[in-house]
Amino acid sequence: MTSTSFRIRRGQRSWRGVLVAVSAVAVLALPACAGSRVAGEKQAQQGSTAASGMIPELNLSSESDAAMGSLVNYNPFAVQQTVRTWLFEPLMQQSSLDCKVVPWLATAYTWESPSKLVFTIRQGVKWSDGSPFTAKDVAFTYNLTKKYPPIDLAGVWNNTFGPKAKSVTADGDKVTFEFEGPAATKFPYLIGQKIVSEKEFGPAGDPAKYVSKNPISTGPFKVASYNGRQLVLERRPDYWQADKVKVQKLVLEGHYSDNANQAAAKLKAGELDFYSGEIPNPEKAFVADDPKTNHVWYAPNGVTVVAPNLTKKPFSDVKFREALAHGMDKQRATEKATYGLMKVASQSGLPLPQKDDMLPSKYPADSTVIPFDLAKANQLLDDAGYRKGSNGVRQNPDGSPIKITFSVQAGWIDYEAMADEITSNFRKLGLDITVSKMPPEAVDQQKKSGNFQLMINYMGAGCDYAHGMGATVSTAEIPDKTTIKGNIGRYSNPAVDKAIGAMASATDEAATKQQVGVLVDAMMTDYPVLPILYAPARAIYRTDHAVGWPTADDPYANPQDQPLVWITHLTAAPSK
Amino acid sequence: MRYFARKIGFFVLTLWAVVTLNFLIPRLQPGDPAELMVQNLAGKNAQLNRAQVEAMRDLLGAPSGSLFSQYWSYLGQLAHGDLGISYTYFPYTVAEVIGKAFWWTVILVGAVQLLSFAIGILLGAFAAWRRNSRFDTSVTVISTFVGTLQPFWIALLLIYGLGYGLGWFPTAGGYEASTPGFNGAFLYDALSHAFLPALTLMIVTPIGWILGMRNTMIMNLGEDYIRLARAKGLPDRMIALRYAARNALLPSVAGFALALGGILGGTILVESVFDYPGLGRLMGEAVGIKDYPLLQGLMLLTAVATLVANLIADLLYGVLDPRARRAAA
Repeated sequence: MTSTSFRIRRGQRSWRGVLVAVSAVAVLALPACAGSRVAGEKQAQQGSTAASGMIPELNLSSESDAAMGSLVNYNPFAVQQTVRTWLFEPLMQQSSLDCKVVPWLATAYTWESPSKLVFTIRQGVKWSDGSPFTAKDVAFTYNLTKKYPPIDLAGVWNNTFGPKAKSVTADGDKVTFEFEGPAATKFPYLIGQKIVSEKEFGPAGDPAKYVSKNPISTGPFKVASYNGRQLVLERRPDYWQADKVKVQKLVLEGHYSDNANQAAAKLKAGELDFYSGEIPNPEKAFVADDPKTNHVWYAPNGVTVVAPNLTKKPFSDVKFREALAHGMDKQRATEKATYGLMKVASQSGLPLPQKDDMLPSKYPADSTVIPFDLAKANQLLDDAGYRKGSNGVRQNPDGSPIKITFSVQAGWIDYEAMADEITSNFRKLGLDITVSKMPPEAVDQQKKSGNFQLMINYMGAGCDYAHGMGATVSTAEIPDKTTIKGNIGRYSNPAVDKAIGAMASATDEAATKQQVGVLVDAMMTDYPVLPILYAPARAIYRTDHAVGWPTADDPYANPQDQPLVWITHLTAAPSK
Repeated sequence: MRYFARKIGFFVLTLWAVVTLNFLIPRLQPGDPAELMVQNLAGKNAQLNRAQVEAMRDLLGAPSGSLFSQYWSYLGQLAHGDLGISYTYFPYTVAEVIGKAFWWTVILVGAVQLLSFAIGILLGAFAAWRRNSRFDTSVTVISTFVGTLQPFWIALLLIYGLGYGLGWFPTAGGYEASTPGFNGAFLYDALSHAFLPALTLMIVTPIGWILGMRNTMIMNLGEDYIRLARAKGLPDRMIALRYAARNALLPSVAGFALALGGILGGTILVESVFDYPGLGRLMGEAVGIKDYPLLQGLMLLTAVATLVANLIADLLYGVLDPRARRAAA
């Protein structure tokens, strides 16, 4: 009730006044609602706030992306979850940016063999109901996903990312995974499984159909209140690394996926501290308003590529693809699609500079970014026999006409911008090319049927190179009629397939790097896809309440995928 | 009696057609709901995680059996009032999901429609009575102009003007900090959130009624019985209200019943702009995510509501206007 009246009063103030008001409200609101059952605790925390640099409140957007928020479900296996990030935790955290592994509920792991993985489980962790967290809960969780395939989101018990698991067992503080074969590629998925308690999920029956209203979790926060729209989470003083969590209260409200302008307005008004959704031109829409407080970091996460269909002429000719790679103005495409926030991508397929160390030594990082050079592209086309006909349009070497259609998802504005720029570049090469905008489902249908010529695709990055980057070039990843897979261009190369197979046994970085080198080689010489720019992991944030967010200078976490990591790095903003 | 029997027979036939189309249309759509849902959760800059797609397929289950047996079991389910389980809100059922959104829209749009109808009829009647006066001209011109504007565009203007600019009203959601229930704080919260969506609709909805009422009324004013009433020396007010307006109201009543049926279709764009937790927003979301069971439930609800409203209007019309009964018989 109190906070309603505050909100409305806050609204009446001028735009700039809002900033002052928010901090005032945050301070006033705490004692104001101290009539609740946790009054004593809150006041105690309040007392220590000034001393230990606590952040009284942080506002985030809702994580349940659905209209009917009032259908509560805290079950981490549910399709629609009231909150995804803050309650349940995984064994380990791996940033897709640099692939460093951060121990979480497990303190260490060892591959005893490529088909046997052992985790050491952290001691002293408590569930939110006070009971101790043990290795048994971990084994219980993974075996639950075995019993109920609909919740096996990490693919532990099927062969999507490597051979199936045979067993997951707990013994003391160790949990052992045994697989049917070398399974190093499953690691990044498997460590991400949220661990649930046997106490809650043991009696719950089918976990996919279970509605959890009183979750028992290990995470840094627990639910304080939820009214169907505004979720208030409060810090757990008994969290296993509570000393690192300085945020007293998280308020999650509103989803802006359909309404980027509203997200920008909320951010500017200080009613949102962090947002990782899409806002067109955030530099102008948000940062420019107050560059000292407002920040944006778009971390290079994956690669957006032009994917030619290699089963169709003239894309089946590597020389033609090479010419195209030189004839794309990636810089302008990037400026148009991302307002210059992202960098043009390296032909190697690796997001650089984060993954510089995975490049084979024969490719210096700078040399892998192909510069825009129309003259060279024209020369390559001429040399390969794609001569211009009497109408000034290039033809196949056999004299048949070339007519290219570029399929683009209508409404994906950055994709449309890239396609428009690249199409106009290719026209300058004398190619007859048109853009065909169609509903995203129709593009998906073309990926399955293989009935297209050019498309924009996302090339996975991540730390499982076999199914991330590898998905774009592996023969096993050619889509079929019912399933979309990564290799929409239908590229096939036995050396690449062999390298991807070998990654399953590569349990250390040196062995992985050797195999990744084979993939990079294929990218640099076969041009199966033509990288345009890096796709972002987004962070749009304010520093007037909390500081310590991951940044380009200190990229300690993937801002979009690893909120649990950055929440342990945040500290109160120094008072002005 | 035959009139009513015919109308009811027509109602049953249309209902069957609606149900059958509702069953067929999602089955003709391209695209795999499991893939779409996983992609939606991950965002477009993410590789489709195939383990998650597999899990999602297991979860949603594929329809089994021939199309005909699926159709039978669908009819059977409907007969038991079972609309299935929503994909998006799994494991919540479609009925539960719709139940949450239902009252938000019915109260908002219902109130707006009633108010718009009353205002529209009054303004229209008055404009017709004083036709070619300054009042009539301004009402007609303003209505025609505002009628060309898109509601969601008006919504955006209001959000920036009254929401962000002046900060008088909240701009998103149905409520904010209060606990839903019958208490003062929540009602105040809900009303303040409903204000901008309601205002948006209030600007647009009366226009149809104003213009419709004005035109019918002007036609009626030219009728002989009005001239007779004038000749008898009846007072102006009585002629306007008891004679002209009452007769001109008849087509509007039928239109109003239809409009009430249309409420459940919601106002997809307006509710989406305001992030209002009603049926329109829900339908927009179900279309986007391809939540077929939810979409089927909503379409069925809308169609049935429209049909029922239509039937009531037809039956009512038969009672109100004896000519309709006789013409049909």
